[in-house]
Amino acid sequence: MSEKKIAEINMLQSQLDELIAKVCSGIEDKKEEKKCLSRIEKLRRTISKMRSGSKLSRDFKRDIISYSFIAPNFIGFAVFTLIPIVFAFALAFLKWDGSNAIEFMGLKNFKRLGSDVFFKAAFKNTIIYCVGTVPLTMIASLALAIILNQKVRGRAIFRTLSFFPYVGSLVAVTSVWKMLFHPSKGPINSILYHVFNVPLDKLPQWFSGGLVLLSLILFSVWKYMGYYMVIYLAGLQGISGELYEAGSLDGANTWQKFRYITWPQLRSTTFFVVVMLTINCFKVYDIAVMLAGGGSGELTTSSTVLVYYIYQKAFVDWDLGYSSAVAMVLFAIVLLVTIVQFAYQKKTSD
Amino acid sequence: MRKKFLSVLLSAAMMTTLVTGCASSSGNEQSTTAGKTPQTETTTAAPTAEKVTLKWAIWDKESTAYWQALADEYEATHQNVTIDMVDLGSTDYMTVLATELSGSGTEFDVVTIKDVPGYATLVQKNAIRPLDDYIKADGVDLTKYSGVTDQVTVNGSLYELPFRNDFWVLFYNKDIFDAAGVDYPTNDMTFEEYDALARKVTKTDFGNQVYGAHYHTWRSAVQLFGVLDGKHSILDGEYGFFADYYNMVLNQEKDGVCRKYTDLKTEGLHYSAAFSGGDVAMLNMGSWFIATMITNLANGEYDSSLCGNWGIVKYPHAEGVEAGSTLGTITGLAVTTATDTPDAAWDFVKWVSGEEGAKVMAETGNFPAIMTDEAMSIITSLDGFPKDEASKEALTVSNLYLEVPYAENVSEINSAIDSYHGSIMSGEMTVEEGIAAMEEAVKAIKNK
Amino acid sequence: MAKTKSKSRHDLTKRVILYAILIIIAVIMAIPFIWMLSASIKADREVFQMDPFVLIPKNPKWSNYAKIWTKIPMLTFVKNTVFLTIVVTLLQLFTSSFAAYAFAKLRFKFRNGLFLAYIATIAMPWQVYMVPQFLMMRSFGLNDKLLAIICLQAFSAFGVFMMKQFYEGIPDELSEAARIDGMTEYQIYSHIMLPLSKPALSTLTIFTFVNTWNDYLGPLIYLKSVDKKTIQLGLKMFISQYSSDYGLIMAGSVLSLIPVIIVFMCLQKYFVEGVASTGLKG
Repeated sequence: MSEKKIAEINMLQSQLDELIAKVCSGIEDKKEEKKCLSRIEKLRRTISKMRSGSKLSRDFKRDIISYSFIAPNFIGFAVFTLIPIVFAFALAFLKWDGSNAIEFMGLKNFKRLGSDVFFKAAFKNTIIYCVGTVPLTMIASLALAIILNQKVRGRAIFRTLSFFPYVGSLVAVTSVWKMLFHPSKGPINSILYHVFNVPLDKLPQWFSGGLVLLSLILFSVWKYMGYYMVIYLAGLQGISGELYEAGSLDGANTWQKFRYITWPQLRSTTFFVVVMLTINCFKVYDIAVMLAGGGSGELTTSSTVLVYYIYQKAFVDWDLGYSSAVAMVLFAIVLLVTIVQFAYQKKTSD
Repeated sequence: MRKKFLSVLLSAAMMTTLVTGCASSSGNEQSTTAGKTPQTETTTAAPTAEKVTLKWAIWDKESTAYWQALADEYEATHQNVTIDMVDLGSTDYMTVLATELSGSGTEFDVVTIKDVPGYATLVQKNAIRPLDDYIKADGVDLTKYSGVTDQVTVNGSLYELPFRNDFWVLFYNKDIFDAAGVDYPTNDMTFEEYDALARKVTKTDFGNQVYGAHYHTWRSAVQLFGVLDGKHSILDGEYGFFADYYNMVLNQEKDGVCRKYTDLKTEGLHYSAAFSGGDVAMLNMGSWFIATMITNLANGEYDSSLCGNWGIVKYPHAEGVEAGSTLGTITGLAVTTATDTPDAAWDFVKWVSGEEGAKVMAETGNFPAIMTDEAMSIITSLDGFPKDEASKEALTVSNLYLEVPYAENVSEINSAIDSYHGSIMSGEMTVEEGIAAMEEAVKAIKNK
Repeated sequence: MAKTKSKSRHDLTKRVILYAILIIIAVIMAIPFIWMLSASIKADREVFQMDPFVLIPKNPKWSNYAKIWTKIPMLTFVKNTVFLTIVVTLLQLFTSSFAAYAFAKLRFKFRNGLFLAYIATIAMPWQVYMVPQFLMMRSFGLNDKLLAIICLQAFSAFGVFMMKQFYEGIPDELSEAARIDGMTEYQIYSHIMLPLSKPALSTLTIFTFVNTWNDYLGPLIYLKSVDKKTIQLGLKMFISQYSSDYGLIMAGSVLSLIPVIIVFMCLQKYFVEGVASTGLKG
């Protein structure tokens, strides 16, 4: 090692010591402190690199070990998810049918959206579906979790039962729902007809027209509340019992305990549930097709949803660029909603 | 410049993945560019040729008799060729096929074309080859296909040869008419007569309903009554001519003459299940259903006490239109661009669509695209084909209109009117609103 | 004295209401499954009979359960689905817990950037990129191969995210102590972390198993030949061909539910604990 290098190392070392001393003595400004810490890390790395010379540095070795942990998953993830996503982004600005030459479209794909009635219908329906499903599922699963967190007989059975709809396959479960809600033969309409004397021509058409979105929402709540119930249950178990005891001593009733203990304590759980619910709701596709699909599996303007339109444009019309543009709209909404929720969460927790 | 750079970069990246993929997929080396010029000099499959395996895309192998029959017969006469059938299922057949043929990585040599919108997609994607050079070299006489090949010719080129040509007829259940003491439908009925007849045999008593008519959920089953006068087509962009037929069917629905669309949609009822259930008097359906009826009655799948006594007549027609005008649906074969044995593939296509194939089709109760008198008499003399004269007579067609002719945007137009058909039939829109919406959507597609 | 009595009466009414609600919910949850079981042993014309409705018909058609195996190649479908589900679940468990360990316990270059890539894709619906993904997969020769579904399902971002949350809940002192004892990172992972992560792994198993078993769109796009299809595709194919054979459709549906329910029953002991410890609750 040359003398020049040693001198350089010594100089860096002294800089490092200075910084460490500064941090140890305490820095008022948090930002400043962070800055110093990251500089320390950087200096430490440079020094160790220079010291070890041509040999692999310790940092490098540590990185290699870490990457060996990540690699099996990350390679698969990068190849099968990340790369296609990058392509999907690019596609939104192109015109391509999957075979012929690619044409650049600029923003034309996005401009087309404005005058597309099917897109507008799909957009509207998706929003209505989400606005209906997210709060309903959240309330239902929270209520269920609170009930099943009490000491009740057969709790395990009830918990298992409420998880059944989530576990059951969509193909199987939707075909049962279609039987139960069959407009002229199903038991639900039979009861309406025989017990509540609803005239035959007034019987609800559950899977078309104005009711179809309601059916989709009810079905989703039924199918997924068990799943979110488990998450809430986990959240509830994290609340210390002492809080409730203190509440009881203060004479709080059930509602007050919920309002002032349970609900605030579950804030981060609720945040997680709402984010996951929103993301999953915007992805709705198979439920709509399986419950409301017509003779050729087609959805009408009262039941079409964004992902259905993405699928249709891509795999039926082979307008991949346009399909990707719709997909980007979907992604943008999901992102926006998530960011808003994050911001809100942060604001209320500060 | 930048734009171009981006698109070049993207396609380059895409190509790299494609190329590396091709190399790694075993035994699938193919050059897409070499395939574009057919080597016509070796079209006739040389008898000494080495072994060839043709991969052929089909649907519903189990329930459709002719696929296996065609393959067996061809293999028997062409010792060096093995036909490898891949069943893609009928529900999403054309979608699955188009996905399969995107890019250049497919292994299929011959594909079956189920409908025109799907055909249009494949032609536009350059997934299938123009057959003109082959047709010229082998002297295939297109006039034998009675004009339907014209309706699927794209810019002067033909990309498929039809081997099956179905047309729509009216199936009826004789027992229901006998029980009601009503005369059978005839080969020359106007729509008014047809409507009246359907109403006459209808019984609405709860639990013992008899439906005078049945319309499957496809839009073809209702809309295409309107094109039989030869003046309209679904590509028109103006759909006022659908109105009368929608009103007729919706009124029938209201009066319990036919099952409700919303019920059919909810249960996904297949038309065959409806007709074989014995409570449907008349069903408008394609002639392919003849083979289904014969086979399933013979093997006991359908209860012959419910639907064993059936017959067919010609499609009803509008006032002033010749009887025997009907809708046609062709099923064709095409050779993929990606195949490395285009000549062998073409030979198979030619054989299936030619007279030898026609015979096999007729023997399994199906209507070959080349309708010879011989094929016709094979079908009408099949065991299980209705014995009455009217049913035989019903098979003579005067005017045949394709359900959907070729057009550039046919796939999108098709999706749009499919969707509004659902809206009208389920009562989400009135007939007028639905038709107006169709016209607007199609206009937007055409102006795109 | 009087006060406690009124309190206990108050408690009693509360409990009655509680049980009433519970039973209503249980009924809503269970009715479709009861209907499914009941319809699966009925003849087609009995299925919609409401007056009177019978749960178990006089002559139960157990033959539906035998017939479904011959009407469609159910055995092939079951074999494919079982194979796919087991392989995907194992791969998912292994690779995501492995990667999650590094994200949670090791410091390395680009750690945050890489993790962000995972998080961002959770919000990305699969349908957004399924087309490019398909084209790429096919160029790898994976079209119509079961391997395609494995590649598709086995490396999910969700698994990594979940396991990372779990490992972060394990105190660092544990691994630090092991490091001082001279254990390598691999040993720490396999000897210390893995045995601790039973609840989290059980939870991930349930999620992955359910998702893979019930996936519909993925197999629809990738698996074309009948001998490659999964139960969901097979069931859908059957429904479109035999729409009015309700008894058979329901029998098939019941069969498709059994394996998932068994897995769930076996692992549910750890389930709530698993969700709690993975920090999924937020």
